[in-house]
Amino acid sequence: MRLTIHHELTVTPPEDAGSLVLQLLLTPANHGNQRVESWRVEMPGIGHAARFADAHGNTVHLVNLRPEGRLRISASGRVVTTDTNGIVAPSETEPVPTLYLRTTALTRVPVTLYGKFRNMKHDRIALLHALMERVSETYAEPGRQQQSQDADLQSQGQSQSQSQSQTQNSEEGAEPIPAEIIAPSAEQMAHAFIGAARALDIPARYVTGYLCGIDGHEGLHAWAEAYEPTLGWIGFDPELQLCPTDRHVRLAAGLDAADVRPVRAVPVAGEPETVSVEVSIA
Amino acid sequence: MDENVPFDEMYASDGSVREPYRVLKQWIEEQPERALTLMQSDAEGLFRKLGITFAVYGSDEGNEKLIPFDVIPRIISAAEWRRLSKGIEQRVRALNAFLYDIYHRQEIIKAGRVPEKLIVNNAAFCPQMMGLNPAKNVYAHIIGVDIVRVGPDEFYVLEDNLRTPSGVSYMLEDREAMMQLAPDLFQRSRVAPVETYPENLRRTLQSVAPDGSGSNPNIAVLTPGIYNSAYFEHSFLADQMGAHLCEGPDLFVEGGKVYMRTTTGPERVDVIYRRIDDEYIDPLTFNPDSLLGVPGLFNAYRAGNVTLVNAPGTGIADDKAVYTYVPAIIEFYLGEKAILNNVPTYNCTDEDQRAWVLENIGDLVVKEVHGSGGYGMLVGPTSTKAQQAEFKKKIEARPDNYIVQPTLALSTCPTYVQSGIAPRHVDLRPYVLVGDEVRITPGGLTRVALKKGSLVVNSSQGGGTKDTWVLED
Repeated sequence: MRLTIHHELTVTPPEDAGSLVLQLLLTPANHGNQRVESWRVEMPGIGHAARFADAHGNTVHLVNLRPEGRLRISASGRVVTTDTNGIVAPSETEPVPTLYLRTTALTRVPVTLYGKFRNMKHDRIALLHALMERVSETYAEPGRQQQSQDADLQSQGQSQSQSQSQTQNSEEGAEPIPAEIIAPSAEQMAHAFIGAARALDIPARYVTGYLCGIDGHEGLHAWAEAYEPTLGWIGFDPELQLCPTDRHVRLAAGLDAADVRPVRAVPVAGEPETVSVEVSIA
Repeated sequence: MDENVPFDEMYASDGSVREPYRVLKQWIEEQPERALTLMQSDAEGLFRKLGITFAVYGSDEGNEKLIPFDVIPRIISAAEWRRLSKGIEQRVRALNAFLYDIYHRQEIIKAGRVPEKLIVNNAAFCPQMMGLNPAKNVYAHIIGVDIVRVGPDEFYVLEDNLRTPSGVSYMLEDREAMMQLAPDLFQRSRVAPVETYPENLRRTLQSVAPDGSGSNPNIAVLTPGIYNSAYFEHSFLADQMGAHLCEGPDLFVEGGKVYMRTTTGPERVDVIYRRIDDEYIDPLTFNPDSLLGVPGLFNAYRAGNVTLVNAPGTGIADDKAVYTYVPAIIEFYLGEKAILNNVPTYNCTDEDQRAWVLENIGDLVVKEVHGSGGYGMLVGPTSTKAQQAEFKKKIEARPDNYIVQPTLALSTCPTYVQSGIAPRHVDLRPYVLVGDEVRITPGGLTRVALKKGSLVVNSSQGGGTKDTWVLED
C-alpha cells in the first residue's frame, strides 16, 4: 500500500528557554516490508542538523536553535508497505537481539501478567499471541470493550486533528495524521508486552510508527516486536490486538519509549534560567 | 601463597636484602639519625605547598585532607616489571576486544563463555553504545589496574578500573617530591622515569581523535568542577598536557560538533578526556537532570565528530561480577592464558558457595558489587564479630550484591612510621594508556596501609602513598 503521510508537531518552549538542542526520531527506514519513497523532516534549523544512526539503527536529527515562540516540526513523505503478518525483515544496522532482553524501568511488570505462560515457551509464537491478548485485556480501560470503541476513538482522533494539526491531503488519498503524541494506552500496553516477553527470556523491543487508518485509528502509535529465532522480529500491537499490517509505518525501535521519543529537547547549558524545560507536543 | 607470613619486598625469608632494595638499604643505613624524620616533615611541607589534597566523602574532619606520603620508595626490578607489564598489556587488550564485541555482535555470549544476563542486564552495560565504532576500536584508553603481590613471582589483579581511574597525579607528585627529598639516592640508582606520563597521555588522546581532526587535535579535560574530590588532578593533568580544562557549560554542541566557548569565539574540540561519570555527560541521552554534562555530546560522539575518553559503558568490563570471567575473556579474544592471576571469587547466589562463605566469613573479604574506594567492605580477619554478623545478614538479604574473596596476604614494604621503619602492606596501581599503542608508565601508584597489620590501602580509609621505582637494567 502506498501511504502519503504528513505529520505536524508543535513544541512550545517556555519563554525564557534560550537555546535548545532537539533530537528528532521522525525518519522511517527501509525494510523488507516498508520502502520509503520520499521523506522530509522540516523545522527551523534543520538545514544545519547533524544526522546519524543511534544504537538501534534509527535515524536521528540533532538540531540547535533559539526558538521564538511555538516551534512547528513537520515530517512528511511517501511510504510503500506490504502486509507480512507482522514479520519485520532484518536490518543490517540493528543490534543483536539479546540486547532486547534488558530490563528497563519502564518495562517492569508483575509476575501475575506473564507467569502462566512459562509452560508455553516451546511454542513462542502461540505464547506471544496469548500474551498480546492478555496484555490487551489487562490494560484496556474499563468499560471500553463494551462500547462501540471504533466510532468513539475516531471522533476523538478527528477532534484532535482539527484543533491541533494541519494535515494535507494529496491526490492519492493521503492518510491525515493527527498530531497527538502517542496515546498513553498504546505506550503502556507495548511496555507491558515487552516486559512480560523479556521476563520469559524472549527479546522484545518498543516500536514507534504511524498508524494510517485502521478502523479510524490514526496518528503516531506504538507497538512491540518480539524475536523468534527462525522468523526474526514479529510485530505485536496489543492495543489493536493484531500484528502490524500494511497500515503500520515503522519509525523507530528501542528498549522502551524513552529511547525513541519522536522529539526530545533540552536547553543548552550555560544559558540563564534554563534549569529545566517542559516541552509539550501538541 | 603462604597464608600467615606476608611476602616482604625488602627482606628475603632468610633475612638477606633482596637485590632491588640493596642500594636503598645501604642509603638508609648511611643516613644520620633523625634524617628520615626531617625528610618526612619536609615532605609534608612540600605536599601542602603543591596543594595535593583529596576530599573524603562522609567524613566530619573537614573536606580536604592531605594524603600521607611515605618517604621510603617501593622498588620493583626490571625483570619483575617486564613480566608485570606484559600481563597488564594482555589484560587491557583483551578487555578492549571484549568491549568491542559486547557492543557489536556479542560473539562471546553466543559462544557461551559469558552469561547473556550478566551482560545485558548489568547496570554498567550501556545500550546506547551498541554499534558505535570508537576511533581505533579503543574503549578504555586510560586504565589503572589494581595489583597486589603475595610472593616473589605471584601477582593478583584485584580490579581493572576502566572507568575514570584517579590517582595518577599522586604518582607524578610523589616522584617529584622524592627527587627533591633524596636527590643523592636517585644518583645511585637507575630509575625509570614517570614524568613522561602527561606527554604520553596527550599523545594517546591525540591518536584517537576522529578522522579529519587535523595534525594537532584539540583536547579538553571535562571536569564536574571544583567540588569533585579529584578536581586537583583534573586541573593538574590539563595543565601538564597543555589541554583546556572545561566544565559542562563551557562546551556546546552545534551541528553535531563540539565547541568550546572562548573569548575569541567558538573553538572546535576533537577529544574529550571526561572525568564525569557516564550517566552525567549528556542530559539529552542519559540522566536528564544532569547539569554537569553537555546536551547533545553523546550524539556528537555517535556521529563520529568527537572522541570521548574513556568511552561510556566501559564499566561493563570492570564490573565486579564480570571480573571472574576475565581469564576466560583473555583466552577467548587472544587465545592466550592469563599472565596475571585473578583472585578466586565466590559467588553468593550459589547456595553451596554462600553457605561456605557465611561459615568462613572471618577469613574472607566481602565487597559490594558496585562499591568502590574501600567503602562498604568487610575484611574478615580484622573485623569484629558484630561487623561479621552485619555482613552475614547483608549477604543473606542480597546475595547478588556482594562478591567474596579470600584474604590475600598483601606484600609488605619498609615504611617510615612513628616507631621507625616497619613493614606495611602495599598494593600497586600502574597506569596504562591505550591509543595507537599501549603505553604503561613504569611503576604506578603504590598505596600503603599505614596502620600495622591493616590490609586496606584506600586513602579514604587511612592509606598513604609511596614513590614507586622500576629499576632499569
